Amino acid sequence: MITYPRYLARQSEPQSLLIGLGNAGINIMDRLISQAGFPMESLAINTDQQSISNTLASKKISMGQMTTHGLGTGGDPEIGLDAAKESAGEIQRAIAGANIIFICAGLGGGTGSGAAPLLAEMAKQNGSLVIAVVTSPFSFEGRRRSQQAAASLRDITRFADAILHFENDRMSELIEPHAEVRETFAICDNLLFRSISSLNRIVTSTGPIPVSLPDMLTVLRHSDDSCLFGCGEANGENRGHHALESALRSPLLDRGRLLHDAGRLLVHISGPPSLSMEEVSEIMREISNNLSPSAMLNLGVSATHDHSSPLTVAIIGRCGTAKRTSVPPKVTPDLAALTQSQPTVPPASKPEQTEAPFFEIPVAHTAHPPEKAPAPKVQQPLLPLDPVTRGRFDKIEPTIVEGQDLDVPTFLRMKLKK
Amino acid sequence: MAREKIHVGLEIGTTKVCAVVAECRRDGEVRLLGVGESPSRGVRKGEIVDFQNASNCVHDALSDAEERSDHEIKSVWLAVTGSHIESSNHRRSVTIEGGGEITEKEIEDIASKDKEVSLPKDNDILHSILQQYYVDGREGVIDPIGIGGSKLEADYHIIHGVVNRIQSTIRCVRKIGIDVEDVVVNSVASAHTILDDQKKASGVVVIDIGGGVTDYIVYENGAVRQSGVIAIGGDHITNDLCIGLRIPITRAEKLKIEEGSAFLENLSGTEKITLKNDTGFSGKEIDRSMLNLIIHSRLHELFGILRNRIQEVVPIHLLGSGIILTGGCSLIKGVREVAESVFEVPVHFAHAQSITGPTSAFDNPQLSTCIGLVKYAHAVDADAPQESFLNRFISSITRKLHLI
Repeated sequence: MITYPRYLARQSEPQSLLIGLGNAGINIMDRLISQAGFPMESLAINTDQQSISNTLASKKISMGQMTTHGLGTGGDPEIGLDAAKESAGEIQRAIAGANIIFICAGLGGGTGSGAAPLLAEMAKQNGSLVIAVVTSPFSFEGRRRSQQAAASLRDITRFADAILHFENDRMSELIEPHAEVRETFAICDNLLFRSISSLNRIVTSTGPIPVSLPDMLTVLRHSDDSCLFGCGEANGENRGHHALESALRSPLLDRGRLLHDAGRLLVHISGPPSLSMEEVSEIMREISNNLSPSAMLNLGVSATHDHSSPLTVAIIGRCGTAKRTSVPPKVTPDLAALTQSQPTVPPASKPEQTEAPFFEIPVAHTAHPPEKAPAPKVQQPLLPLDPVTRGRFDKIEPTIVEGQDLDVPTFLRMKLKK
Repeated sequence: MAREKIHVGLEIGTTKVCAVVAECRRDGEVRLLGVGESPSRGVRKGEIVDFQNASNCVHDALSDAEERSDHEIKSVWLAVTGSHIESSNHRRSVTIEGGGEITEKEIEDIASKDKEVSLPKDNDILHSILQQYYVDGREGVIDPIGIGGSKLEADYHIIHGVVNRIQSTIRCVRKIGIDVEDVVVNSVASAHTILDDQKKASGVVVIDIGGGVTDYIVYENGAVRQSGVIAIGGDHITNDLCIGLRIPITRAEKLKIEEGSAFLENLSGTEKITLKNDTGFSGKEIDRSMLNLIIHSRLHELFGILRNRIQEVVPIHLLGSGIILTGGCSLIKGVREVAESVFEVPVHFAHAQSITGPTSAFDNPQLSTCIGLVKYAHAVDADAPQESFLNRFISSITRKLHLI
C-alpha cells in the first residue's frame, strides 16, 4: 500500500493553545472548552476581572491591573493596548511552548481590538503558528467600532499566519429576524466554535488524503477580506449530500453563492470508517459544479475509528479577487522551521512585490502549483436566492442525474453556471 | 344487462389518487363506467412517504369510483412509478432441438429465461417485454412458430424496480381490503391508452409528466426500446416558483395552474400578475417574464435529459410519430413549444382512444395512466382466453405469492 507522508507526523505532537481575548473571545473559547474531549490548552485573557473569574479556561490572565483596575477598557483600544503591554511578561510565559496558537477575539471593543495585534506579535515571536479567529461588529454598533475593528484587523494581519474573519452582519442573516438576542449570539458563537474545531481537526487528523498545514495556510493566509467558511455534518441516508448542504448553508458562504467567487478552496471530509469513495466523489462533484473553473481546490479526507461519528464536510476558502490572489502562497521562516518535513521549492523568481508593506517578510514557495487567475466576479442582481435550497424536497431522496441535484430549481443552477 | 368483465385501474399519484372502473367487452371495446378521484397526501415523487395518509386517500378515491360506477371494487390493477424503476435490453437464446422447427415449447423456453437476467440485489422484474425474435441470426421475425432453424434468439426489454418500494405501494392498497391483481409500470400503462399499433411501428416516445415524476417510454418498429422514470414533475415547477417568486407553496401551485406558461417569446417584460391577498399572505405582484422563465428553464432541462436518454438507443429524428406528451403537466401552456425546440421533431398531445363512456375523461391527460391500466388488463385477458379454469387459478395463486 502506498503510504503518504503525514505532514506533522514526524514532528513532536503539536501543542495547540487556544486564547480567548476579551469578553467575546472568552465566550467563544468557553463554548469550545465545554465540548467534551476538546484537545487544547486554553488561556483566558481579559481586562475585566469579573468575566475572567467565570471562565472555564485552565489558565487565566487578568491583564492591566494597574491600567484598568480590573474594570475593563470601556471600549477604548488604546487602554486595551496599554493593559496588554503592562502584562506582556505574564502573557509571554503563558504562551511559551505552544506551537499552534488560536487567538479568539471580538474586534470593535477595547480589549479585543487593542490587545489582539500585540498578542499576535508576541505569539509570532514565540515561534508559534498564529491563527486568529476574529469577529467584526454589527453595523448597528456604530461606525466608531467598525473603524476600530478594521484598524485592529489590519494590524493582526501583519503577524498572524491565518485569519478567519467573521462578520457579525453576515452571520446574523442566517438567524430568523425575531430570534432572541441571546440565541443570535449563541448561533454566532457556535459557528466560530465549529470553525476552530474543524481547523483543529484538519490539522491533527490522519487519513487517506491528509491536508498539510501549508495547504491550509495558503487558503487562509492574509485574507484581509472575510474568509469563506462552512461546516456541516450528517448521519444516515444521503449523509454526504445533507452534510454538504448544511455546510453550504453557512452565512459565511453567503448560502453557497460565494463558492463561485472562491479563488482557493479547501474541502475537508471526515467520517466514520464506512465513509465511501463514492460519497467523497459525490460531494466533490457537487462542489465543483458550483465552483468557478479557475478555482484552486484542495481536498482532505480522513476517517475516524468511531463508527457512530457523523460525516463532516468543512469548506474553507477565500474570495478570489485579483488583488488578493496576486499575493503568492508563502511560508514564513518560523513556519518553515516548523515544517521541515515538507519539501520546499526555492523561489524561481523573486516573489511579486505587493502594495502592502507587511508582506516583505522573506518567503519560500511551497510545492503548490501557482494560483490561476480567478474568474471575474459574477453579478447576480436578479435572484438573490439560496442556491442550495431544495424546498419541499428537503427530506426525501434527491433526484440526482448527471451529477446534479435536480431538486434545486433549474434557474438557480443555470445562474450559477453562467 | 349482464355486465362483462370489469376492471379497475388505480394510480396513486403525487398530486392525486385516481381510480377508473371500466367494462371490457369481448369485441375489444373498453367502456368507462366511472372515475373516482381524491387529492393525494403522503406521496412524494410517485412514492409513498406517509403510509396512513396515502392509504386514506386510496380509500376515498375507490369509494368515489364505486359510487359513480355502481360497481363494488374487489381488486385493482395498480400503477407504480418512482425513480428506482429502471430498464435494460437483453438478448437471450435457445437451441432448437429435434427437427429444427420452432414450436411453442421454444417460445416458452425463451420467455422463461427472465431469471437469467442479472439485476441489482434488491430488484425484481416488473415487465419483460418482447422486442423481436431472431432465427439463426436473421432479424425481424415476428412469429417464429413453424419456421425452421437451429438457434432462436430474442431481444427483451426488462423493466425492474426495488421490490420493497413496490411492495409498500401494494400494501397501501391491501390495507383497506382491496386485492391487487398486478402492478404495471406507469409508462407501460400510459402507452396502452395513447398508442396504437401504427404509431408503435413508426416509432414514438410517450412522455408522461406527472406531479412527482416523469415517465417515458420509447417505441420503435413496434417494440419497446427504452423506458424509464425521472423523478421530476409538476411539484418541481411549483417548488421552483415558490422559491423563485417567494410565494407560499399553495399559491405557487395555484399560480402554476392558472397562469403557468413556458413561453419566452412576445413577453413585454413589464407585464405583471397580481396575486390577491389571502389569509396569511399579503398579496403580491409578479413579473410574467420571471414566471415564464422559471417554468421554461425547468421544462427545458427536463426535456434535455430525456433527449440524451432517448438518443442513447434511437436517433430521435427517426421516430416517425414524434413525441407524445401526457400527464398533468402537459396542460401548462407552451410546454409543446419547449419540447419541440429541444427534440426538433413534432410534438403532440395524447388523446385516449377507443374507449367509450362518460366523455369528460377522454381528453384529460391526467387519466391516461389509469385508463391504460384497464386496457392493459384487457389485453392480458385477451392474451389468455384459452386458459382453463385450473390454470387461471394456479397462475393467480402464483402471482399473489409473487407479490407478497
